Amino acid sequence: MAKFVLRRALISLLILCLAVSLLFGMIHLVPGDPASVMLGPRATPELKAELAQRMGLDQPLAVQLGRFVAGAARGDLGIDPFSGRRVTEIVLEQLPHTLVLVLAAIGGASLLGIPLGCFAAIRRGSWLDRLTAVVSVAFIAIPSFVVALYLLLWLGVQWRWFPAIGAGEAGNIADQAHHLVLPAIALGLGWVGYIARLVRASMLEVMEESHIRTARAFGLPERTIIVHYALRIALLPTVTILGLGIGSMLTGALFAEIVFSRPGIGKLLYEAVLNRNYPIVMGAVLVTTGFFVLSTLASDVVNASLDPRLRVEQGR
Amino acid sequence: MLRCTVHPALPVKLRLPQRQTDESRRSFLRRSALALAGLAGGGSARVGWSSRGAILHIRNYVDVSSLDPLSTLSLGEGMINRAIHAGLLRFRPDGSWKPQLDAAAHFEQLDATRYGFRLKPGQMFNNGFGEMTADDVKFSFERMVDPAMQSLNAPDMGPLDHVAVHDRYSGTIVLRTPYAAFIPVAASGPAGVLLSRRAVMSVGGRFTTQPPCCSGPYAFKSWQAQRKTVLERNPAWTGEPAAFAEIHVYAMNDDKAGELAFEAGQLDCCQISVESVDPFERDMPPESTLRVLPSGRNYWLGMNQENPALADIRIRRAIQHAVDVEAVLEAAWFGLARVSTGPIPEGMTGHRRTASIAPRGNPELAKRLLEEAGAGLPLRLTLDVSARARELTTAQVIQWSLKKVGIEAEIRAQDQSTFLTIGREDLGDGWRDVQLFLQDFVGMSDPYYSMTWFTTSQHGLWNWERFSNAEFDRLHDIALATTDESERGRAYERMQILMEESGCYRFLTNGVMPQIFRNTIQPAFRPDGYAILRDFRPSTGVA
Repeated sequence: MAKFVLRRALISLLILCLAVSLLFGMIHLVPGDPASVMLGPRATPELKAELAQRMGLDQPLAVQLGRFVAGAARGDLGIDPFSGRRVTEIVLEQLPHTLVLVLAAIGGASLLGIPLGCFAAIRRGSWLDRLTAVVSVAFIAIPSFVVALYLLLWLGVQWRWFPAIGAGEAGNIADQAHHLVLPAIALGLGWVGYIARLVRASMLEVMEESHIRTARAFGLPERTIIVHYALRIALLPTVTILGLGIGSMLTGALFAEIVFSRPGIGKLLYEAVLNRNYPIVMGAVLVTTGFFVLSTLASDVVNASLDPRLRVEQGR
Repeated sequence: MLRCTVHPALPVKLRLPQRQTDESRRSFLRRSALALAGLAGGGSARVGWSSRGAILHIRNYVDVSSLDPLSTLSLGEGMINRAIHAGLLRFRPDGSWKPQLDAAAHFEQLDATRYGFRLKPGQMFNNGFGEMTADDVKFSFERMVDPAMQSLNAPDMGPLDHVAVHDRYSGTIVLRTPYAAFIPVAASGPAGVLLSRRAVMSVGGRFTTQPPCCSGPYAFKSWQAQRKTVLERNPAWTGEPAAFAEIHVYAMNDDKAGELAFEAGQLDCCQISVESVDPFERDMPPESTLRVLPSGRNYWLGMNQENPALADIRIRRAIQHAVDVEAVLEAAWFGLARVSTGPIPEGMTGHRRTASIAPRGNPELAKRLLEEAGAGLPLRLTLDVSARARELTTAQVIQWSLKKVGIEAEIRAQDQSTFLTIGREDLGDGWRDVQLFLQDFVGMSDPYYSMTWFTTSQHGLWNWERFSNAEFDRLHDIALATTDESERGRAYERMQILMEESGCYRFLTNGVMPQIFRNTIQPAFRPDGYAILRDFRPSTGVA
């Protein structure tokens, strides 16, 4: 298992380096001038030169990349040239908000989607199965920003059951959870459908396998067969998808962050890209890419722990 | 000499906004569609707030990046700074650009380059940093222009040389050259707030989002990134007590989010988008007021006179007469904004009453001018524009106007950051290809800031029209040096006439800034629509 994890970690590191290098090249190909965006006409040539120097843009690309990588290895992502604050600090301020939102969304989606898919597989062909299929596809089909807006209008503005904006008072867990409900539903609703469909399909496949028939022949209770034998195997592709889902949600959270005026890494990154604030863009992308890679690594490890065959196959 | 005016405190309590659950299905659906349309079109941003009890909740169109005057980037940060720090002067809350005394008991211009001041005794910095002295004024002003401090806002201080301290409370501000914008921009604006030398040096000489001291009616309490900044009543403030116990300033850069938050009762005052004015007016949230305030921005169609296709002034004049500005304002501003007569908005020294070109234009004259110039029709031109909803609508209306006289304009939309580089000389020869473009600049509290970008020295920087006129440049220098307001006014009026006569500009509008607020508060706004936080009051008679 250790060899497997080490091998996956090395691949993850390689992916991270590649992603950062690609992005580094891309952001310097796109025209734009951060000083002009941030300062407007007040951006004098002296100020523009000053800001370029602060961002290291006066250095060759390779030097800039080298400095960034060396700094990142020490946990130093540079300085925001406008505010003078450390990029690491700025990114880490925002990251927990997005992580909490993503985990709440994916957690809620799993809690609903897995039983739903399992139930649909067990009751295959029934009206409940067909209803689940329709509801799942509907959840997948509706864009999350539309869900977000209507939830906000309906439950936030019209009925005022939930706050329309913000992330709640710092230190007040109940208030923060209250603020989390609508954005988490908006972000996670589509995943309920995905997970339900995936679990159903996997369960149907697994239920046809010989070891399930053998278990039935031994007279094991149906509940034990489903939970301990079928679901355990059927969850493997779901875990992989959840790993990818967490990664994509880190950036997909942008809609929820904008609609609900929540702080978060997506909004930070979006504004930094528009303003050509390169140090923030690089720092935020490095962190989100890191989490994406980590989440896929974690899903690989969980898969391997659930299915020893994977450890053997991928360890070779 | 300027004298300070005093506003009586209003000791009243505020009432929670009534819970509204009786919204009609129709209005709900309309707002839904509006919100969706707004999100699809890409939101912009502005300011807003709300009050419950003694707390005012307000929206800001940006998050705080820094509260150090060295590096504040926006008027949104300046709005907060002007509530937590005193300045020598400040703007009156009466919607005019007239300054009044703030921390200064006396302020006067001694000659073209010197300003004398005397502070009111007994004004205290909070957090135990003692009384405000003339040395704090020296520190606050000189650090802004100190090259070692690398201030992003150094230009606001103009040619400031130094501040001479005479005694504990008085001193003289000395400029290197005359700078007529010193009072409205430096002494009264966000760059001119007063900090305690001892406090700032105790944190290493500069700070970001945690001001070490405050000298205004409100004090900084907390800041949560991308969420809100909380101000509280400053116990060290010796002037008229702050009207609210706390002000919560929410960072919301999307107009639609702000509007929904206002409707949900989470804000008391909020700048709304222009397209939402009509729906709000038809279905106003209860106990609310909507005001469409003027904005200090300047929107215009620019023409690069050094591009061969536009080198003939008759072609540029034809384009000026071809554009139907009324149609632009109807389509892009929903008929709320007025036609501008130049970069200087109404209410500011130098504003022109009328422009020489009719708002509707004169297509027949445009056709004649094109014929005289021998332009082969259809004349094909490019129109560069920032890819924002309003700019794209404006460009489309201009495209339609031009087509009527035989000009085919190809709209080239770019994101704002890229767009802002198209006229730059230091980035290559791309500026030579620029023909028509839609541009807008935010103005400040002095006409200097509206006009300085069009001098010959701005070629390749911000003067993308490559407009060059010796008389314009001379008048610009005169207007900056003189303190005679009528002379300045005449100079700026003439400069705008010269701009228009060059054919390089078709002035469109100075824009508007709609603000909606609860009737439980009495807001205060600058003439450009930005809030003056310290002058917000609870409404009288609110229980």
